[in-house]
Amino acid sequence: MAAPMEAYLLLSAALFCVGLFGVLTRRNALMFLISVELMLNAANINLVAFSLYHGNLTGQTFALFVIALAAAEVAIGLGIIMVLNRQYDDVDVTRAATMRW
Amino acid sequence: MDAAFTYAPLIALFPLASFVIALAFGKYLPTRGALPGIVATGASLLVSVWVAAAVWQGHVHHEVLYTWIAGEDVVSLEFGILLDPLSALMLVVVSLISFLVHVFSLGYMNAEGETGLPRYYAELGLFSFSMLAFVYADNLLMAFIFFELVGVCSYLLIGFWFRDGAPASAQKKAFLVTRFGDYFFLIGVVGILATFGTTTFVGSEGFPQLAEAAIAGGETFWGIDASQWVTLLGLLVLGGVIGKSAQFPLHTWLPDAMEGPTTVSALIHAATMVAAGVYLVARMFGFYAVSPTALAIIAFVGAFTALFAATMGVVKDDIKQVLAYSTISQYGYMMLGLGVGGYVAAVFHLMNHAFFKALLFLGAGSVIVAMHHKQNMWEMGGLKEHLPVTYWTFLAGSLALAGIVPFSGFWSKDEVLFEALLLGAEAPIFIAAYAMALAAVFLTGFYTFRMVALTFHGEARTDDAATPHGVGWSIKFPLVVLGVLATVAGLINMKPVAVVADLDILYLETWLDAGFETTAYGTYTTLVTEVAGFSYADIGPLLPAIIALVLAVAGAALGYRTYAVAEPTEPVKRLGGAYDLVRANYYQDEFQVWLAEGFTARLARAADSFDQIVIDGTVNGISTVSLRAGSRVRRLQRGIVTNYAALMAASIVALLLLFAVYGGWF
Repeated sequence: MAAPMEAYLLLSAALFCVGLFGVLTRRNALMFLISVELMLNAANINLVAFSLYHGNLTGQTFALFVIALAAAEVAIGLGIIMVLNRQYDDVDVTRAATMRW
Repeated sequence: MDAAFTYAPLIALFPLASFVIALAFGKYLPTRGALPGIVATGASLLVSVWVAAAVWQGHVHHEVLYTWIAGEDVVSLEFGILLDPLSALMLVVVSLISFLVHVFSLGYMNAEGETGLPRYYAELGLFSFSMLAFVYADNLLMAFIFFELVGVCSYLLIGFWFRDGAPASAQKKAFLVTRFGDYFFLIGVVGILATFGTTTFVGSEGFPQLAEAAIAGGETFWGIDASQWVTLLGLLVLGGVIGKSAQFPLHTWLPDAMEGPTTVSALIHAATMVAAGVYLVARMFGFYAVSPTALAIIAFVGAFTALFAATMGVVKDDIKQVLAYSTISQYGYMMLGLGVGGYVAAVFHLMNHAFFKALLFLGAGSVIVAMHHKQNMWEMGGLKEHLPVTYWTFLAGSLALAGIVPFSGFWSKDEVLFEALLLGAEAPIFIAAYAMALAAVFLTGFYTFRMVALTFHGEARTDDAATPHGVGWSIKFPLVVLGVLATVAGLINMKPVAVVADLDILYLETWLDAGFETTAYGTYTTLVTEVAGFSYADIGPLLPAIIALVLAVAGAALGYRTYAVAEPTEPVKRLGGAYDLVRANYYQDEFQVWLAEGFTARLARAADSFDQIVIDGTVNGISTVSLRAGSRVRRLQRGIVTNYAALMAASIVALLLLFAVYGGWF
């Protein structure tokens, strides 16, 4: 037992907040994607940490699933960004504001 | 099964075929569709006579031809054919009149170079089809459907000259007024279907039979005593009868219907449409016979209408208007006959009236042709010399209408009056009905001979009357046939003679007493006396017959003496206020217009306002709240993804705080 549980949770919370901050402040779609990745990985750290704490491997398995899911999400996200770029010659997320009422 | 019955459905289908032919090819046919119509109705007449011959031999027929909606353990809706003495008699009458009207149309419509003849013959064919199918309908629902179709056809034919204002408005009036009555009829049909699960007229499963059993068993329907419930249903159906047979207060459409061609008036008044109402009561007489209240209402509506319409007939100038009011009055007699339990008398009068009224209308049509389409009797006079065939046949019809011995109308009208008197002697309230009908006898004689005298006697009062147009064989032939029938048809049921001379010559009574047991005259008599509780006095028929005859002759003589002079005047005008009142048809039209515009329309407008303001206001108010709120809230959605993310984050924080505060984490 090297590090206490609180340390993992704090790391995870910090990483999540960094991601959230990125999502809320950035306008570049690529940065958006990276920030979402950070938030997902914060969740992964939580899963692994609790798995270790309870001595149950289920959490680790789910972390693997989340990584695979994140890969798929990145593929789609990059696709959307490509289309965005083609449409607006830019990857600024605030430009694509036509799909509303 | 008799072979005639196999072909019986064709009676109605022949005119349907002529309708299709006239509609599709009428333009290309030499007579514009008259010939198919004549052939079709002639064939219908032959088959009808064949069926009547089979019925005369004692055969009857009831068959379901087509199941419209088959129900398992619930009601089935079916189309069937019912051939018994009553329907066989009516089929012959209807197809005969229809045939003669088609022949007459050759002289009345074709010879006058009318336009739209294919339409005329198509509608005439459809009219005959509807009426014939109505006559042999075996259940009330089928009867209702064809009853409505008859109404539609009369709407089309009354408005044949729809380009003029008056026929167009008359056709609408006829349709709306009869529809008003039919509305109650429809409720009655549904009520009978819901109560008894069947609308069949005949047999132990027929609704009149079930009604009788329900009353005998003391059943209740929805908490209402069976006899009261049957009365209610009977009165609802009677609504349709009153509308179609032009009984007070729904008679106002019929005088206006004179705007149609005279041939159509003959068909409507004699054999179809107006006859349909009375025929329906006769058809389901077993249902009415168990309800004394319904019978009394029928009797009083009939007697009142007979007198009421007769007074209006006295003051009319238009020959067709006089005949229109006489029709209303005569159907009143039939209703009176049915209401006092005189089933044979009413059917007898229905048949005789069909002959003499068709004759009178066709005779009037002949006069109108001769007068270059003038209808005012004051412009006629002296036509007797120029139109001998028309005059003598018209006179036969008039004597029948006035009820003068030995013409057909006398025998049947006398029998109706006799039945009313027999009942009245035991139940004094019916004496009032008898008195009204007796007063109408005098007026009938008066207005009939006023009409004959003004039209045919005296001297020609206009150039048109002095030089009338000749009429052809197609006009004379139907007049002669009907003239003979109007003279002799009464001989089949001479009740006073039969009783006084003790002879067995009541052929119609014997005829109507045969057939299905549940629809035989004997059964009806038993029902009326035992279930409805009517009892009849034992009075000889001779004195009542003489009273009626004296009144009729007095009226006729007075009418003739007053108007058959060189320069007739209108002595009735001296009545002053009463004359004006009658002349204005008792302001019935004005009253009904007021009822529609002043009362119903206002009520409808009030209901509309209530609906618009209160109901719609509430609904719209609620939806306005959501609408406004929605248009505010949707401003959140700005299309900028960062805002969404911020909102989501803020919401989660807010939710966490909520849980924290209410969950007691602090």
